Amino acid sequence: MQSVKSAEEFLDLRKRIITDRDLKIPTIVISAGTCGQASGANDLIRVAKRELLFKSLTERIHLRITGCHGFCEIEPSVLIEPRGTIYPKVGINEMVRIIEGIDQGRVVEDLLYTNPATGQKIEKQADLPFYKRQTRTILSQNEKIDPIRTYNYIENNGYLALVRVLQKSDSKWIIEEIKASGLRGRGGAGFPTGLKWEFLANQCDSGEKYLVCNADEGDPGAYMDRSILEGNPHSVIEGMIIGAYATGATKGIIYVRNEYPLAIKHLVIALRQARELGVLGDNILGSGFSFDIELVRGAGAFVCGEETALIRSIEGKMGEPRQRPPFPVQKGINGNPTAINNVESWANIPVIIRDTARKYSKIGTKGNSGTKIFSLVGKIKNTGLVEVPLGIKISEVIYDIGGGPVGDAKIKAVQTGGPSGGCIPASMFDLSIDYDSLTKAGSIMGSGGMIVMDENTCMVDVAKYFMNFLKDESCGKCFTCRKGTQRMYEILDDITKGNAGMEDLDLLEELASVVKDTTMCGLGHGASNPVLSTLRYFRSEYIRHIVDKRCDAYVCKDLVGAPCQSACPVGTEPWRYIAHLARGEYEEAYRVIRETNPFPSICARVCDHNCENRCKLGTTGSKPVAVRALKRFIADRVDPASYRPVRQPTAENESKKVAVVGSGPAGLTTAHYLSLKGYKVTIFEADKEPGGMLLAGIPEYRLPRNVLRKEIECLLDENINVKCETTLGKDFTADDLFKDGFGAVFLALGAHHSKSMGIEGENADGIYPSINFLREFNFKGQNLAKGHVGIIGGGNSAIDAARVALRQSDVESVTIFYRRSRKEMPAFQMEIDAALEEGVNLQTLVSPTGIISENGRLSKVEFIRNELGKPDASGRRSFREIPGSEFSAPLDTLIVAIGEQMYPYALDGSSGIETVRGGAIAIDENNLSTKREGVFAGGDVVTGPNSVINAIATGKKAAHIIDCYLNERPMIIPAEKRLPEVYVEPVAVSPEDQGSADRIEPPNLPVEERKRTFAEIELCYSVEDARCEARRCLRCDLEFTQPEVEEDDYVKVGENKA
Amino acid sequence: MINLHINGLRVSVEKGTTILEAAKFLGFPIPTLCHMEGLSPYGACRLCVVEIGEGPRSKLVSSCTYPAEEGLKVRTASSRVVKARKMVLELLLASCPQSKVIQDLASAHQVSRQRFKQEYEDCILCGLCTRMCEEQMMAKAIGFRGRGENRSIGTPFDIKSEVCRLCGGCIYVCPACQLRCTYNQPEKAICGGCANLSPPCVEKEKFDDMMCYMDPCVVCEIKKD
Repeated sequence: MQSVKSAEEFLDLRKRIITDRDLKIPTIVISAGTCGQASGANDLIRVAKRELLFKSLTERIHLRITGCHGFCEIEPSVLIEPRGTIYPKVGINEMVRIIEGIDQGRVVEDLLYTNPATGQKIEKQADLPFYKRQTRTILSQNEKIDPIRTYNYIENNGYLALVRVLQKSDSKWIIEEIKASGLRGRGGAGFPTGLKWEFLANQCDSGEKYLVCNADEGDPGAYMDRSILEGNPHSVIEGMIIGAYATGATKGIIYVRNEYPLAIKHLVIALRQARELGVLGDNILGSGFSFDIELVRGAGAFVCGEETALIRSIEGKMGEPRQRPPFPVQKGINGNPTAINNVESWANIPVIIRDTARKYSKIGTKGNSGTKIFSLVGKIKNTGLVEVPLGIKISEVIYDIGGGPVGDAKIKAVQTGGPSGGCIPASMFDLSIDYDSLTKAGSIMGSGGMIVMDENTCMVDVAKYFMNFLKDESCGKCFTCRKGTQRMYEILDDITKGNAGMEDLDLLEELASVVKDTTMCGLGHGASNPVLSTLRYFRSEYIRHIVDKRCDAYVCKDLVGAPCQSACPVGTEPWRYIAHLARGEYEEAYRVIRETNPFPSICARVCDHNCENRCKLGTTGSKPVAVRALKRFIADRVDPASYRPVRQPTAENESKKVAVVGSGPAGLTTAHYLSLKGYKVTIFEADKEPGGMLLAGIPEYRLPRNVLRKEIECLLDENINVKCETTLGKDFTADDLFKDGFGAVFLALGAHHSKSMGIEGENADGIYPSINFLREFNFKGQNLAKGHVGIIGGGNSAIDAARVALRQSDVESVTIFYRRSRKEMPAFQMEIDAALEEGVNLQTLVSPTGIISENGRLSKVEFIRNELGKPDASGRRSFREIPGSEFSAPLDTLIVAIGEQMYPYALDGSSGIETVRGGAIAIDENNLSTKREGVFAGGDVVTGPNSVINAIATGKKAAHIIDCYLNERPMIIPAEKRLPEVYVEPVAVSPEDQGSADRIEPPNLPVEERKRTFAEIELCYSVEDARCEARRCLRCDLEFTQPEVEEDDYVKVGENKA
Repeated sequence: MINLHINGLRVSVEKGTTILEAAKFLGFPIPTLCHMEGLSPYGACRLCVVEIGEGPRSKLVSSCTYPAEEGLKVRTASSRVVKARKMVLELLLASCPQSKVIQDLASAHQVSRQRFKQEYEDCILCGLCTRMCEEQMMAKAIGFRGRGENRSIGTPFDIKSEVCRLCGGCIYVCPACQLRCTYNQPEKAICGGCANLSPPCVEKEKFDDMMCYMDPCVVCEIKKD
């Protein structure tokens, strides 16, 4: 390399480099940082080189291998300059096509990036939503520079800042510039860089002075520094030389962790090149100023990122911090004054000097100027390095740049600042990202890690994870950090295992605050942040673990057990009956189901199967086991009457009477379990036969009436007396029941009264509440729907109404109108799919505004269109009306399905029972008791429309509570972990039987056939399919139930095989 | 001379004096475990924390390492300090309940229980022994190794150190080992300086019944085997 001896020579060289280049020649830019190489960039480089050589294109197409471009999600990516075309996730074959395309001067359309929000293709890098909202002052250089080519750096304004500094030859001016720029340390603490330099410059000049670049980036999931060092090492070197000139430092040290081999390689090359060029070493550019940089590799202790520990590590001692003061700037390496800055801070220095401090200080907000690189990782769509001006809102980074959550789960929190940082909840995403706001919120900026967490992340587990990391990485010198982190971990571990009490939570908090207060260095000081911030914002999750022994994110293994089991409101053991099914033991399987659930056949058809939603197979990338359909297979094969429940009547119970109002799933379940205990139960039912909403609401094609009736019949025994067509509030009151000698009353009358829309003209002919519409049909066979039918709502009741309407004779079309988008519809996705298949139309993002009727009969409905806004605190996206988007739809029938509640007259004459707003009965959730003693309530009448399985769960709980009440025991249900207990030997699968690992869906009636009939749509599995599907189960239970195998037995198995 | 306030009292001290020394000069008691005159300040035990500064910017620092600064306002027993000290003592009790020094300190601070899982450790890693060895005995025979939970004190590679002169200084300064060597005749317990049932600096397995790593013990002169 040519050596330059003065600033003028350097500028000449630069001019030559710039005139020599031809910007019009297309250049393939391959992102080949460590991350790019790991995802296959090396292959692309090889293919590109080969293609260019073979096709003799080297003159016409250039190739540049650069550091990371930041968008990890699309690696390996290829950028084509000067057009700015970007190709994501390029494979070897695609690379060949891209080169062909460049040669022919066209863009390969089908390889372009597809915007996941709109489905549109985007060609240019700058237009990608991920890049569009960023301000890439530092990172954009990475694309333009081949890190091992100094001329690339010079071409892109490299070392210009140094030349400016040398020409100006005024060290005070540099410090003033840095101070004026407002740059604060990018390592996390945010100390003003200019001030630090001034301190160093003011130290007496007697001995040596050190500048250190801290590249010991140890936070899990953070790699900003690595990408700068790999992609643009000269910028750091230039920054340090300028720093040395300003402060009079004599020696520079880059402390880089040894786990960054590529960064070290590029740094070593860059340092050598800089020396050869004459910008580093003795007499830099002939100015008489000398400064050299040495590379020190860290052996990889997290604590060595702390400045005093880092200094000791550089000195060759054990990397442990010491108490400040004296500060490193007073006494650092070997007792000499030392200033330590982070990689990113150093990389900002040339930018400030080159573009002037005034310009730089305009980026960001007051007191927090400039850009900051964040490493955006976790449960987010666009993972990668994001460079944004400080002061930007968290929500902009997460939703606009990051693209929001990956799956359906909502984003719950973001963890900033690495292990010593804290978690900020989604409700605070309006917070501006700057040093002070983050600290106030209980977190820190740290080096810039941002870990996004969604509902499948357990915050207690997160705190435990970081605490585990910190207790291992604490140097152990100061007692409160060493023991404090260990003790905090112990308590957190107990909480996640359900072994802690509420007093442990207080102890944890007390300890965390003392550790924060008393530790020696930054590591210990921040070590409490994960605990304190999660306690501050997610205390309810801790309490849920401790009191209810539940982990709602299904993460804490010792509380969850088998996810399917703990997800089921009634505690069914799906793993167990599926294991029996796989072994062909159907009766055994039925017994397992029936032990916890009195309605196997009904739930096998209409359950909302939380078990499947939580199935580990489903949450780890495949599709969940079809638990519900397998239950159907069992329920269809075994006669319900064959199961004889265990009866435990006592003479005392047999003399007591209980009244159950309502015969839906909740009421019937309560009656059944009370009857097993010997109580005499009378069920009061307003309709002409028992069944409640199962009968009134659920259409026959989902739940055939013979199945329903048979299952109910099996439950009714000599202890249960059903009085039909007797309505609470009309025919009797709760007071009457007590007069008649009932010891307790359970109100489970359901929600059979539709809410109104609150729109004028709602009472016109042709407008029906959905529940009335369904009842008229299910009980009387009345076809109320005619002509063009509209449905308002997006819940299951809306879908049911739509599909029933479609099957009625005089109907021409059915359209569902919903105010949000399809993704937000609360109805089961499967039901929505089936409705659409059958020909139901769906209009989303519309709200009704008015009814137009002719002669008292509905003729048109007026609507307005909505657009979705930002997700609110709960993560659900709000909507707002678009002014001027009104339209009307001619409709003959309108069915309103926007929610149901209890009949308003139900409590007339029953004293002492209170309701809450919205018309539901007020209860104590722990024991279902209403304000009146002896009266309990549960099911839809309390919760509003809810699932069948939740009603059954409430019914079981009610039976237990009423039993306690009547026997004068305390009315509590102790919280217990629900872990698998019974061992069912897994079935041996021969290779021939294995079959496909894909989920088998149960067969359905063909669409054409089912459209006009009420025959059951879903059919039962064949034996082969059922057993094949059952074998897909991962058997999460085995971890808890499998008998321990003696070591000798392992040997035997091995021997047999041999 | 530097002027500072300790618990409201003005005091002038020479440059380089620590807060601990200044407080002692005034007669304010500050408990310490890892501090010893003649050894360099270390700041590991965190018992000697005091509160400095005022208002929201006040903070706790270890008084044994913090140099007196002009105009500094120090509180040696504010509620924040007492709360922290009690928690430190509770943690010490949880780890090393058999130490008489720790028991006495806990008792003096009305810490009468500990709420963590009980451990029985022999060493609180205060570093007095390593500093004694290095700074007063000029031997550097023992030092720290490992980090976090696995931090311990010992000779390099656990091999008997060639530079150790068996002076016993390490055991003399140890605040944790208070169980005295009685050899096989309890009534003949000697000075007590010689050894412990479990000395902090050495692995237990190495010492058979006698459990003394000084072989022969410089004090009782009983040789193993």
